[in-house]
Amino acid sequence: MTKSVILKKTELNHFIEALARSAAVVAPIAKGVKSFAFEEVRDGKTLSLKYIPTILPPKKYFMPQREKIQEFDRKAFRWTPVKENGFEKLVIFGVHTCDLSGIQFLNQVMGEDPKDVNYLARMEKITVIGLECNDYCDSYASCAVMKTHLPSGGYDLFFTELAGSFFVDVATPKGEAIVKGTGLFKDAGEVEKKEFENLRAKKEKIFRQEVKPANENLKGIFARSFRSEVWDDLDRRCVACGNCTNVCPTCYCFDIRDEMDLNLTTGARTRVWDSCQNEEFAKVAGGENFRGKRGARQRHRYMRKFNYPVDRFQRYSCTGCGRCSRTCMAKINLKETIDTLAEALS
Amino acid sequence: MGKVRVAFFDFACCEGCQLQVANMGESLLDVLGAIDVVEFREVMSEKSNDYDVAVIEGSITTPHAVERIKEIRKTAKILIAYGSCATIGGVNGMKNNFDLSDIRNYVYQDKARFFETIPTRAVHQVVPVDYFVHGCPVYLPEFVKVLKCALAGIPYRVPDSAVCTECKLNENECMYDKGITCLGPVTRAGCNSWCVNNGNICYGCRGMVTNPAENGAKDILEKYQIPLEWVENKMNMYNKAREQDTERNPDGKKC
Repeated sequence: MTKSVILKKTELNHFIEALARSAAVVAPIAKGVKSFAFEEVRDGKTLSLKYIPTILPPKKYFMPQREKIQEFDRKAFRWTPVKENGFEKLVIFGVHTCDLSGIQFLNQVMGEDPKDVNYLARMEKITVIGLECNDYCDSYASCAVMKTHLPSGGYDLFFTELAGSFFVDVATPKGEAIVKGTGLFKDAGEVEKKEFENLRAKKEKIFRQEVKPANENLKGIFARSFRSEVWDDLDRRCVACGNCTNVCPTCYCFDIRDEMDLNLTTGARTRVWDSCQNEEFAKVAGGENFRGKRGARQRHRYMRKFNYPVDRFQRYSCTGCGRCSRTCMAKINLKETIDTLAEALS
Repeated sequence: MGKVRVAFFDFACCEGCQLQVANMGESLLDVLGAIDVVEFREVMSEKSNDYDVAVIEGSITTPHAVERIKEIRKTAKILIAYGSCATIGGVNGMKNNFDLSDIRNYVYQDKARFFETIPTRAVHQVVPVDYFVHGCPVYLPEFVKVLKCALAGIPYRVPDSAVCTECKLNENECMYDKGITCLGPVTRAGCNSWCVNNGNICYGCRGMVTNPAENGAKDILEKYQIPLEWVENKMNMYNKAREQDTERNPDGKKC
């Protein structure tokens, strides 16, 4: 059903205002010196069209950091699932292609049996509007090798910024309804189509495989590197702050916490994002820790991006967004790790 | 069965953590509905030698305090170390940077002979502790959580991950990106990154994670060109008494 339309740049403000009348709209906004975050906007004035990946990826809207999943009564031995129906409609505007790929991966994981009902219920309510990166955000990104620098679905509308307008790909009935409902779009003319094609051609020159190994070799490199000395180096450098996984668009590990009310009878069970980098993540009763070394935990994180998901989901779960390297306290860099592993094997 | 009898006691501290309870607001009524407070110097005149739970604020800094905490331990079925001074020694630990007699003379001058003093110790370094509520001041939601665990007779697990984990979930801009040194990466979580949420750095008031990466931490400092002494000073502001931990009383072992 794909079709292309145009939104004049001067109409962006009206567009966001129109969206905000019928749903909550979130978009990247500047936060502090050099960070960005998806936060609610009412118009197009505060959002940042040029932004480096936000501190947290948009997954926070699909699976919130803290989520009540059950209510319990200890005396009655009753556990009641909290199946939320009351989600408000939400539009996420300005999602880069790396993050679209992250959302697609999570949709696949959460959609498998046993399905994550709350995730899927939220997914139904969320409209995703993508935004093309015309150039690299910074040198941490590795989207070309992960093949996420160009869109491949996962959105309702997809915006590409041209000189005077946005070239918009309409991908779903949800997107179609917005185009019709707002009445701000017009069909793309030959001039815009040409401009769009030129931009894509230019991107082919800008976005080049950021690491030495090619995409299809990454799985093999990691599969053969389980005993690599690279993990010892990371063991020495990592401080286990957990930043790399907390900001990752495809990490979905969680901890379950029960908390009672003061009556000590009723209470709630909450799901909270967890990290395989935390000291206690693989600790079990009796004090044994299956991944007590930080190097082993880093290795696990990398394997969960480049090795295991290929067997399990037939795709990499790294989106090349660069967040893990950008946020690492110890400056552990994904691109360097890949190159060092590849070199060690050659 | 009557309500659980709870007594608050203070040692070397500013009593600010107890003030947090006094200032709890409306939810204090819920807490008081679940317990019977029998001693709490800051808010009431009554005293009692009959209590189930002892909440201890402050660190142990004198021979008299050692005797007193041992007596309390004998009476209390459950002992909760409450606030940084009690759980890790806190700012009182700074005393341990100095020669004991020097610092005693410096503080008390010609009256020094009346004030016996010992190196600052956290409560668990003197008597066994059942629950820890870290923080300067304590983070009230965590105190209520611990209290509920104590009343229900189940353990409370102090998080052993870095403050960064909670800080990221709250999507704060990293202090290091602003060019400011913060102790979040080596300090244990549980405060919901309270200080950073409000624009301040982490001072390490909850103590260090049990397995801090010293090499990695040095790399960070090198990368951001921060002298090691700065961070040591920052860390020692709350954590100097950590040196008093021994194999026999490792921090947090009972929980």
